[in-house]
Amino acid sequence: MHATASTHPKTPALWPLFVTISAGFRGPLLMALLAMIASFALLFTVPMITRSMLDRLTGEAPDAYLTWLQHFMPSGLSDDYALYMQLGLSGILIVLCTALAGYFVYLRGKQIAVAAEGMARRLRDTLMNHLNHLPIAFHHQADTGDLIQRCTSDIETFRVFVSGQIIEIGRAVLMLLIVTPILLSLDVTMTGVALITMPLLLLSAVLFFNRVKAMFLEVDEAEASLTTVLQENLTGIRVVRAFARQDFEAEKFGRANARFRDQNQRLMRFLGFYYGASDIVCLFQVGLILFVGAHWVLADAMTIGTLFAFITYEGMIIWPIRHMGRVLTDSGKAVVALKRMAEILSEPEESKLEQALTAPLNGQIKLDSVTFHHPGNPPVLSNLSLTIAAGETVALVGAPGAGKSTLIQLLLRLYDPQQGALWVDDFDLSQLSRKSVRAQMGVVLQESFLFAGSIADNLRIGQTQASLADMTEAVTTANLLGTIQALPNGFEALVGERGVTLSGGQRQRLAIARALLKDPAILILDDALSAVDTDTESQILTNLRRVRANRTTVIVAHRLSTVMQADRIIVLDHGEVAQIGTHETLSQTPGIYRKLCELQGQVQRDIQQSRTPEGNLL
Amino acid sequence: MSDAFYDDDNFSDEFTPDKDLKLGVWTQLLTYARRYPKDLVLLALCAVVVGIAEISFPLVTRWVIDDIGLYGQDIDLLGYGALYGVLCVALGTAVLGFLWFGGKLRSHMSHDIRRDGFANLQRLSFAYYDERPVGWLMARMTSDCERLSNIMAWGILDLFWSFTIMLGISGAMLIMEPVLGLIILLSLPLLAIISRYFQTRILRSAREVRQTNSRITGAYNENIMGVLTSKVFVKEADNLNKFGRLTDRMHAASITNAVQAAIYLPIVLTLSALATGIALVVGGIESAWGLISTGTLIAFLTYTRHFFEPIEQLAHWFAEMQMAQASAERVISLIQAEPDIQDSQAVLDRLAQPTTRGAEPDAFNQPIERITFEGVGFRYNTGKPVLHNIDLAIQRGQSVAVVGATGGGKTTLISLLARFYEPTAGRILINDVDYRDWSLQALQSNLGVVLQSSHLFAGTIADNIRYGDLSADQDQILVAAKQAGAHDVIIAMPLGYETVIGEGGSSLSAGQKQLISFARALLADPQILIMDEATSSVDTLTEARIEQGLRALLKDRISVIIAHRLSTIRHANQIVVIDDGRIIEQGNHDELITRRGRYYHLFQQQSLSNLWQQAEPINVEQPDGI
Repeated sequence: MHATASTHPKTPALWPLFVTISAGFRGPLLMALLAMIASFALLFTVPMITRSMLDRLTGEAPDAYLTWLQHFMPSGLSDDYALYMQLGLSGILIVLCTALAGYFVYLRGKQIAVAAEGMARRLRDTLMNHLNHLPIAFHHQADTGDLIQRCTSDIETFRVFVSGQIIEIGRAVLMLLIVTPILLSLDVTMTGVALITMPLLLLSAVLFFNRVKAMFLEVDEAEASLTTVLQENLTGIRVVRAFARQDFEAEKFGRANARFRDQNQRLMRFLGFYYGASDIVCLFQVGLILFVGAHWVLADAMTIGTLFAFITYEGMIIWPIRHMGRVLTDSGKAVVALKRMAEILSEPEESKLEQALTAPLNGQIKLDSVTFHHPGNPPVLSNLSLTIAAGETVALVGAPGAGKSTLIQLLLRLYDPQQGALWVDDFDLSQLSRKSVRAQMGVVLQESFLFAGSIADNLRIGQTQASLADMTEAVTTANLLGTIQALPNGFEALVGERGVTLSGGQRQRLAIARALLKDPAILILDDALSAVDTDTESQILTNLRRVRANRTTVIVAHRLSTVMQADRIIVLDHGEVAQIGTHETLSQTPGIYRKLCELQGQVQRDIQQSRTPEGNLL
Repeated sequence: MSDAFYDDDNFSDEFTPDKDLKLGVWTQLLTYARRYPKDLVLLALCAVVVGIAEISFPLVTRWVIDDIGLYGQDIDLLGYGALYGVLCVALGTAVLGFLWFGGKLRSHMSHDIRRDGFANLQRLSFAYYDERPVGWLMARMTSDCERLSNIMAWGILDLFWSFTIMLGISGAMLIMEPVLGLIILLSLPLLAIISRYFQTRILRSAREVRQTNSRITGAYNENIMGVLTSKVFVKEADNLNKFGRLTDRMHAASITNAVQAAIYLPIVLTLSALATGIALVVGGIESAWGLISTGTLIAFLTYTRHFFEPIEQLAHWFAEMQMAQASAERVISLIQAEPDIQDSQAVLDRLAQPTTRGAEPDAFNQPIERITFEGVGFRYNTGKPVLHNIDLAIQRGQSVAVVGATGGGKTTLISLLARFYEPTAGRILINDVDYRDWSLQALQSNLGVVLQSSHLFAGTIADNIRYGDLSADQDQILVAAKQAGAHDVIIAMPLGYETVIGEGGSSLSAGQKQLISFARALLADPQILIMDEATSSVDTLTEARIEQGLRALLKDRISVIIAHRLSTIRHANQIVVIDDGRIIEQGNHDELITRRGRYYHLFQQQSLSNLWQQAEPINVEQPDGI
């Protein structure tokens, strides 16, 4: 599925992407094309049949069609009855031909849908899968709105190109290819007359739509800014009211609203001129045939039937040709859309050639002179070495930017270090497949992302097969059972936009339960209790110690009450280990940790004395 | 006929198509069209002209062909040529005309509907917003408006055009040859039934496609936002699986839609061929008998090809109106919804009276001295009560801190104070007068509010601060920013005050947003300053600086503060502890600490959580007092 991804880094080639995407759908496309040819061939017989009959009625000599029709008629009919018979058979033939053509029209529509929708589905799936496998570094710098646009609107543009524009272009070309020989067989000079305005029509259409392209864009922009103003007003309605700015807002919205209206109106006027003028040209073309033809009929150079056929055919081909300008302009968008998608797909995915972990880990972690920096930035971790024993509970302490979260990201192989190595048990982390490493780690992040769905759905992210008992146990450990039981639907209660709103603390606890369900060899809590009150926090920590006795746990925390409970405390400072030790030893040693403890003592004293000197906020 | 001229495929999801058309809804919408009577009439006229011209072309052909037979070389080709030319120009002009007037009608109607909707949204109270997500309101105001104005403009156009064509062609056929005409006309009801059947289904499956499409967009959004979680839980395969079900559904719905259209079109084609066949057989025989001329036969043959378009169009618009009926109702209800909080009739009467006091007849004519809550209770709609029997008095120059657990009713309390909601029991007095006897404008123009999640608008930082006082000059903005402690943060940005921030202030950190919205509130120079967790994301040192500056600022104002951090709370004149909608403790910091009650407990918990934040700058700067 991600065949196109890894090879070209900078300028994505569109053709290979198109080949990949259309694989398996070129058959249906070809079928659609053939069905279209068949339907046109059949539809174009109708004017020919009518022409023959008109000529027969106006007393011309019988042509090939009438001679052929003779095969289906009993011989020896009187002239009158032969005519009735010919008329009847022609009527039936017209209906049959059209019905058959109709079948091919249906076939065309169906095959095109199979191809276009199939390719769209493949693009959607491929993009989704690719996005999921792109490194986290890509996601950090990417703009979500832009990505979504590429995955939705751009796919739609491409889909419309396949299902609409390719067909429109094919239709116009095929019609010309099929009709021209028919017309030539009828009357060569008249064919010239019939096609005389076509190049003009085509050219002016293309020129016109290239010019109004900018105008379409302006309308889109006006609409986008209208939407933005509206969205901002509605999401910020409390601010608007709080400052009593309704009039100001109405004026702002009024401007955007009027601009959209005026741009729209201007575009319609332009289109009006184009369609009005091109209608006149098209009708002039039909009129030309009528009057030149009438002249020739008078001169006995042409039959009325042929004239009728020319007028009918002209009506069939001229409108698609007029439409070409718009179609060709729009086709340009499909190329741009495909390019934007190819850009995403050419971003390299996370490597996945490494060997997979097969056995459960014990949970020992070792960092050996690890240095890491984001591209173009100073190092976040410099020459960091430390060991965490299997089964140990370690607290990571440090100021924001000290490197705590980076360390965890390296452990999860979200990034790889530039220098040094990380080891889990006896494996070099960089030699292990990312997925198998992550599968053995349970992670709770400060901003826990919940998926739209029920609480149970979110818990099952930790373990797909989790039973109700498993889930109950996990949420009990995370001290969330009471909250869930109080919800109207319990585990089945929906969370997210359409469901109940969970508080920050509840979300964090749900995320902890979710991680616990994974029963990971290494549990990582990255500031995961920040929104939970201290009582609950200490209960959770106690529970954790019980269920995770002898399993490795790494806790990043800001509260001393959390930190104190760890077996060992690692103090990070500017990407280096500043202190390692237990709470007892560190609180006695001069350094960052003791300063923290002193601060806490200060606050405690403050509470005890219940009084602070004015102006000193600590 | 006008399908090619406009897009009609970007509507919102969730329609419930009705069985019957409710004329009332459409009549109400029609009032929007009636504001442009000239354009409406001209649009209809253009439609009729287009219709007449289209009917006339086959007639000209017929006359020319018949005259060739009748007059031979004496035929007046020049005359017919001139007639044809006139028809061409008439049709071209009418096409220009209907796009011109239809375009105007359409864009003006959607503009007007949106304008009225927006105006009403600015009046509607928050209770209305609570029940409707922003996305829902957006859909009403954008895609629904476009869709309805499309129906109104192009539907009207096609209505007139279709009836002209149908009447014209039927009339022409019946006059030229009644029997044949009648036979062909008989196929119309059949076509109408088939068209209705298919158009309804096609639109319905199109709706399914749109709905699935918006789910797919949602899925992309969720997957991109949650990519980290997916990675750490190794959910890539599951995600694709789940997404695959959605794309399968999209695939199936789209193909259903395409196949329905692919069946419908050939049926119409065949029906039209049936009419052509009948015209050829019957007309041919009649022509052979000399009952009709060749020209008439040709005209019939041409008409049978164009006769069905109007029916298809009408069926399309009928189905479309059915589908859009729910949109229409929702849009109208949005425009007509009555706000539950608005100026009372007495206030309005007073405002209407001529005044000698200048431009602001309803402004408080004296400073706000006192706000009093008297037994205030509140419930959202029919929910259970959120506040019970709140008694509270705040004097000018006083600050009140409201503390308590999440969900206890703190934010509701200040929402009542700001009259975003009104009490469902008891009353709130400003200077001893029930605030419902003041105008909303009078209260809210004296408010400065800094909310928990500070909303900023797209634009420059200066623009955002200026929102507090639209007439403020650069100096005043600077002063407010300094008071709010935002100045240093702002000038640290490359473009300083001219830094353009994205929608919702997306490019700024939470702390930066809070500082800017704080400056905005200070610039408003309000008599009442409300701060709901206004500095929760600001670091402690900055907060301390703000705090010191603020004390002077609050001297002549009433201030109400919701906060978790003690440093913010402790200096308040009055601290109110709210739990479960009731005031459980009240007093100043010292009193409450001494009491060893809930406040004491909260204080003890909270103070630990900010330790590191406090420790970090101290670590670097070592200020005095530690």
